[in-house]
Amino acid sequence: MKRVLVIDDAATVRMYHRNILEGAGYAVEEAVNGMEALEKALQEPADLYVVDVNMPPWDGYVFLQRLRESDIPQGPAIMVSTESDSKDEARAYVAGANAYLIKPVKPAQLLTTTKLLLGESVS
Amino acid sequence: MALKRGITPQSDPASNPESPFDFGTAVKQLSDQDPALRRASVHALAKHPEAVGALVDRLKKEEMGLVRQSILTALVGIGDAAAVSGFAECLHSEDANLRNGAIEALKLLPDRTAPFIPALLADPNSDVRILTISILESLKYAEVESWLISIVEKDTHVNVCGAALDLLAEVGSQHALEPIQRLKQRFEHEPYVQFAADLALKRIRGN
Amino acid sequence: MSATIITDEDFLKFKEFFYRKTGISFENSKRYFVDRRILDRMEATGSETFREYFMMLRFQASGEEYQLLTNQMTVNETYFNREDHHFKCLTDSILPALVKIKKNKSPIRIWCMPSSSGEEPYSIAISLLENWPGIHEWDVEIIASDIDTGILEKAKAGVYSARSIRNLSPEVLRKYFTKVDVDYQICDELRQAVEFTRVNLAEPLDTRGYKNFDVIFCRNLLIYFDDISRLTAAETFFDALNPGGFIVLGHSESMSRISPIFSVCRFPEGIVYQKPNPNR
Repeated sequence: MKRVLVIDDAATVRMYHRNILEGAGYAVEEAVNGMEALEKALQEPADLYVVDVNMPPWDGYVFLQRLRESDIPQGPAIMVSTESDSKDEARAYVAGANAYLIKPVKPAQLLTTTKLLLGESVS
Repeated sequence: MALKRGITPQSDPASNPESPFDFGTAVKQLSDQDPALRRASVHALAKHPEAVGALVDRLKKEEMGLVRQSILTALVGIGDAAAVSGFAECLHSEDANLRNGAIEALKLLPDRTAPFIPALLADPNSDVRILTISILESLKYAEVESWLISIVEKDTHVNVCGAALDLLAEVGSQHALEPIQRLKQRFEHEPYVQFAADLALKRIRGN
Repeated sequence: MSATIITDEDFLKFKEFFYRKTGISFENSKRYFVDRRILDRMEATGSETFREYFMMLRFQASGEEYQLLTNQMTVNETYFNREDHHFKCLTDSILPALVKIKKNKSPIRIWCMPSSSGEEPYSIAISLLENWPGIHEWDVEIIASDIDTGILEKAKAGVYSARSIRNLSPEVLRKYFTKVDVDYQICDELRQAVEFTRVNLAEPLDTRGYKNFDVIFCRNLLIYFDDISRLTAAETFFDALNPGGFIVLGHSESMSRISPIFSVCRFPEGIVYQKPNPNR
């Protein structure tokens, strides 16, 4: 079973993402900020990361940069942001994101992106 | 080679006469090129409320995360109205790290922050409103629920309402039930709002 | 007694609140443990319903009830070699990494707090002598601090109950302890090797002389601090460490809830934190 690490400071958002992903057969773990997420990833790398942009004390960009610098197996990352600003989207890709979604995400949107990034068939 | 007994470090400030404190020098040094000196002057100013203005000015410009963190810590330690108002200004910064730092700091000063909340919740920028709701998380005020209810009743931004629902699931009472129902109708086609609203309703009812 | 129960939703609500505040996440297998403690505190505070209790926990201005409950949820007992993977981490990973970056042969300095009654610093000392070959090449200083002068006196005396030494092998006991009636006293050599000092970690004036450490052991202390004191402690640790120096926290603690100024560092024995080393 593929493992997804959902990182967001809002418990409701984590549960929402968890529900969608578990419903499609993924194993989901949660972290509440970027530093905690990095600790978890270093101990057990995930197959995919769903990363909120805004979550003090480390935001999603810092998490991704540190993850990409580390020597663990690299899973793809979906960055989730409230801003639709294209500048933020560019910054997300520079930091190491593989996809960029605007909150609130629709279930189908999250699932399709997840499957595409994991190289699974979308049907 | 082996275990060797260490010597008790001197903790008496009088034992450190080579660097006498001078307010003016410390403030000037806040802009020094050397980050270590900037950080040292932040520490020297950390107990001086009259330095808040200078510290806030530096906070807005500071690019080194380490120095920024020590300024935040110093300002939180002083924790007066001027410090809080400085943090509130930072919520409008373009720099996400600075905004996040300011939020974390405001969360640590709930009593001083409370008077700023109504204005922040009415801010035209939806991201500021969302960040403000995350400050409410650590406020121990009876008004928290009514603030959240008024967001749920009136705010037009889906993510602001979503953030309010997240916290209502924790602190909401019977008073929040109907406003949440109405919100569900307002965002009828938004799966996230439906999910968050149902969760909040379930948590408030306790079953 | 009324048949107060904690519903599944109550449990989840509490679980999320506590996770956000402390970073400690209770699995469902801990449900009974958690419920039991909440129910005890509800009874002690005269709360009739979970909601009434939770609101007090959440909104009480003094935060006293939150502290009390946290203490109950994180029962701590000091004994030799508690959470011993950290000692293994010290001798097998941290010290080998440190000696590689050390520029001269100055002593390796370890700051250990809370000293409590001494089990922690003496466990470190024994680990070094038993499990770190480098002890023959390097001098090591251990300074152990606590806010409580009474407990520091106990640490200096170094007399322990059978319960406290239960994790030590008979060989280690024979080597470093003498039996005194029913208790065990640690040998003079180790008592002389550790410097005990009184320090309030939340008070910068107390800690300003504490510099040039290579390792800080601070397990199960910050969890009892308020948020502002934790931030101050993180700054203090930063200043007390040499670049590249390490911090070891307790198993349920994480720097991620405190401050972003340290790097996260993974070793086979677990996660520790490191002061960034710009010269590397």
